[in-house]
Amino acid sequence: MRDTDGDAKSMVTIPVRYFFEHNREDLHLEVLAGKGGMDRQIRIARIQKPGLALAGYIDQLHRERVQVLGQTEISYLGTLDPQLADRRIKELCLAEVSCLIVAKGLAVPDRLVELAEEHKVPLFRSPEISSTLIRRVTTYLEEVLAPETSLHGCFVDVYGVGILLLGKSGIGKSECALGLIERGHRLVGDDVIVIRRKGPGVLFGSGAELIKHHMEIRGLGIINIKDLYGVSSIRKTKKLELVVELVEWDQNIDVERVGLEEHTYSILGIEIPYLKIPVRPARDLSLIMEVAARNHLLKRMGYNAAQELDRQFHSQLNEDKWEREKPDLGSVE
Amino acid sequence: MVSAEVTIRNRLGMHARAAAIFVRQTTNYDGEVWLTKGKNRVNGKSIMGILTLAAARGEMVLIEVEGPGEEETLRTLVDIVDGRFGEVD
Repeated sequence: MRDTDGDAKSMVTIPVRYFFEHNREDLHLEVLAGKGGMDRQIRIARIQKPGLALAGYIDQLHRERVQVLGQTEISYLGTLDPQLADRRIKELCLAEVSCLIVAKGLAVPDRLVELAEEHKVPLFRSPEISSTLIRRVTTYLEEVLAPETSLHGCFVDVYGVGILLLGKSGIGKSECALGLIERGHRLVGDDVIVIRRKGPGVLFGSGAELIKHHMEIRGLGIINIKDLYGVSSIRKTKKLELVVELVEWDQNIDVERVGLEEHTYSILGIEIPYLKIPVRPARDLSLIMEVAARNHLLKRMGYNAAQELDRQFHSQLNEDKWEREKPDLGSVE
Repeated sequence: MVSAEVTIRNRLGMHARAAAIFVRQTTNYDGEVWLTKGKNRVNGKSIMGILTLAAARGEMVLIEVEGPGEEETLRTLVDIVDGRFGEVD
């Protein structure tokens, strides 16, 4: 179903207006022109320096991307013949760029302001130097443009391992999480979990804003974990490291018995270690989760119990074989 | 998979009690039920999920049902929403 990949939602864009509102204070942005273009979209988190574009090579000018003009760009424009400078600025404006930001509080050529206004390309200026500006804009954009999806499950932090519990309604995800909270672990979210991809190969999960720290337990109704167990029983976000699916106990179901093979679960195109745990009355799921977390920590440090045991088994076999086949040295005496 | 779009008609919207009435139907159903408002799609068997939609009066919600007897289940669910979750305003 849709909830496993979330492709439908993985393409995120934000309007320039949103970027401006969130950063105007931090970056001391002032609007010089192009207010009419505030609804242009930003789709790519990495910014671009349009130096080469101003020199005439516009092929690599990317649409829906923020353009930062530093000392190089501004002084280069000054060296151009006014007509040529006009043409290059127009090309830049017509390339569907998101917006232009002039760094270092530099004096902006009048024609740049006029043409940006005419083509409705937002033109900002910030006192920050280019390198700082680029770093901060990129950090902000990576955060807001991170692809996200939401899953039905329960997200807990067990010994520092972010475990996402999946499974059918009523299988006992929330009860399992409650058991973990009781043992001192922390709830990130229940029922609706928002997963975001931050950086290469890294997923973070958090609960839905509206219902945060709340759980529904059959027979009890809605409870507030923060009020019941205190502030140390919850956390806002957590890196996702392990997916555990609870399934009904069934003789025919294929579950892992050894642990030599490692399975993964794909979310937003990232493979996360995955376990399938069968549920049966009297099976202490919270305990199994704790052990799963401990085992995950061991694996992360490079130790896999199943593989280690397998290795010992094989070396023992080899030793026995050597014992049996070693040449009889007794007669040398 | 069958689906229908419904308008929330009760004054309080899909609040906790309304969600509970909805979920009482869906949890007994063997198949899957999904609710969508805007870009948010949640499990129709989860009260907390439904609450995150924050569906207010006058807003449209899409109900999707998949599984045995889906037509009948969908009809029952639409009736519950259209019947204002039994509330009299």
